[in-house]
Amino acid sequence: MMKLSEMQKGTYGTVSSLGSDQRFINRITSVGLTEGARFQVVKNDRKMPVLVYVRETLLALNRRDCEKIETAEVNEK
Amino acid sequence: MNCIALLGQPNSGKSTVFNQLTGSRQHVGNWPGKTVEKKNGSYSYKDKKYTVVDLPGSYGLSGNSDEEIITEKFIKGGEADLVCVLVDASQLERSMYMLADFAAMDVPAILILNMMDVATKQGKKINDGLLAERLGIPVLPFTAADGKGFEGLKELIEKELASPHKLITAPDIKSGDEVTSASKEKFEWIGRILEGVTEASSKEYKLSKFDNVLLKPFWGKVVTVGIVLAGFLVAMLVMSPFMSIAGELPKLLGKPIENLLTGIHVHPWLVSVFSLLIPNTIYFCISMASFVFGVNLVFGFLEEIGFLARAAYQFDGVLSRLGLQGKAVAPILMGMGCTIGGASGTRVMDSWGQKMLTMMVVWAVPCASIWSIIPVVSGMFFPVWGTVLVCLGIVLYIFLLMFIVSKIFGRKLVPEETRTGMIMELPPFHKPHFKYILKEAWIKCFDMFKRALKTVTLVSLVFWAFSFSPSGNVESSLLYKVGTFIEPVTKFFGMGWRTFMAFITAAFAKEAVLGTLNAVFAGQSNVADIAFNASTGGVDTMALSQIMSQTISRSEALAFMFACTFSVPCLMALSTTLKESHSFKWTLRTAGFYIGAALILSCIVYHIALPFLG
Repeated sequence: MMKLSEMQKGTYGTVSSLGSDQRFINRITSVGLTEGARFQVVKNDRKMPVLVYVRETLLALNRRDCEKIETAEVNEK
Repeated sequence: MNCIALLGQPNSGKSTVFNQLTGSRQHVGNWPGKTVEKKNGSYSYKDKKYTVVDLPGSYGLSGNSDEEIITEKFIKGGEADLVCVLVDASQLERSMYMLADFAAMDVPAILILNMMDVATKQGKKINDGLLAERLGIPVLPFTAADGKGFEGLKELIEKELASPHKLITAPDIKSGDEVTSASKEKFEWIGRILEGVTEASSKEYKLSKFDNVLLKPFWGKVVTVGIVLAGFLVAMLVMSPFMSIAGELPKLLGKPIENLLTGIHVHPWLVSVFSLLIPNTIYFCISMASFVFGVNLVFGFLEEIGFLARAAYQFDGVLSRLGLQGKAVAPILMGMGCTIGGASGTRVMDSWGQKMLTMMVVWAVPCASIWSIIPVVSGMFFPVWGTVLVCLGIVLYIFLLMFIVSKIFGRKLVPEETRTGMIMELPPFHKPHFKYILKEAWIKCFDMFKRALKTVTLVSLVFWAFSFSPSGNVESSLLYKVGTFIEPVTKFFGMGWRTFMAFITAAFAKEAVLGTLNAVFAGQSNVADIAFNASTGGVDTMALSQIMSQTISRSEALAFMFACTFSVPCLMALSTTLKESHSFKWTLRTAGFYIGAALILSCIVYHIALPFLG
């Protein structure tokens, strides 16, 4: 288990949990980041939003929001 | 009545379709009791009239915001005879989410696969026939921005109104389902629908070379700001011929009209109205419209190619400290060119509160028009290095003012618990559709021009009445009488009656500042005459410089420059803020705050500078 904000650039993962904030869950799932969704961390620089590639879409996510997202790293592409 | 509603996530190109369908036949108002914008339009096809409703932009229909509640209620209410659901064909899986939410509603619909040009470029193939068969509604591959497929769309709409289709499938969601499992099911449904319709997407994303530079934490910001400034430079080059022609208008028209009317013995008051007031009002309006056009041209282009989304990524961290988010960067950068453009650029914000707060922050950014005045005025009192310091001081104060605004109004407009961070798609870079960008910029600029003519004429008339002097001497004008009467008060804030009058005109139009200074300082001839001869061309800055530096102190000049820069940007910025916010209360509050803050600033600057500068 690892927060999305802590994942390394170039790694892959799946979403384990999205926290408990209903507003946030509604908003984040509407762009495709649902529980179980596979994604690639494209860029993760300090103090910058995290760039995630999920469901054919490159998403920029606010850093603080990424701390709410629990993930599991997947090894193979 | 044939009523069509457009439904789609932000970035699905919904407003492009709406604008291209309806052209300038649009009506913008409010949904009853809400601050959410209601956009209606119409078009005619084969002698029949169609009404188009642009539903508020939202990501889904789960009732999470005013926008979503309104949209859901409207569709369920059955007011629309046909709903056109828009999706982004280049990011099909994700953008089908709106359709998944919509599917539960029993309403006739068609699906528009927008941005097919981008999808094709990416090598994506979509079997729209199979998709239509699975959904049970017509599917139309489309590229809204090139403006070509609209005949086909209108024809399809006509056909569907005669024999409508409804979706034959929907995600399996029970009313008690948790949000997380419900959205999971929605995407599983999308997966089932799209199986065999598109090939599985590539699993790895590689940033382009340009993105690798643009998204760097430090240099990316430098490049971003550099590109925006270069954009403004281009816009200035394009617009300056128009502005100089407009600037010549008062000079070219003034004299002949005056001679003509005096010749036929028209009352001097009316002569002044027609030879001074009207040509100058037209000049102000053209000048403002040029700014709006230029700024929208540049930012329309930057938006279309996908650059603004990168800028939002860059500045999300800084802006979230102001209670805003990355998307606010575009209107703020636009404000560097023109506050009117910046205020209308706040439409990209996700909620009304964020939109209003962004507008208030945009007001703090001095526009290009102020930057053309400050060096001139500063140069009259200070050496070059002093002027550089003045400009630096102004730039530093911008950040402080933004911070103050967000501290005072942030909590009210964007309460802590509703603060959502940026969640935004970064579209791949793609080619712009120049025709569409030009058309959009033109519509915005023309709309502003029409509003400006009304408002500016009215206020000009009031100002003219104040500054008209029957004897031709400044001391017989109402302006002088009122100005000197309240001078004891304005003096406290650091401004004498002359600079205070120019401070007031600055809130009306920055274009009028130099003219007013000239009128109140020179004071020999008719005030109205000089005040309205406002373009720099009509002001002898050398002569003005001499009189001004003899009449007022350097501290007063400094206080005046700061007050002028950070007061109400201009009348049309005020009018645009009202139009965009739909809130009279908040527009007044914004104006009141800025006037008050400018006076306090002026007071502080004056009293600090006094012992040093005298």
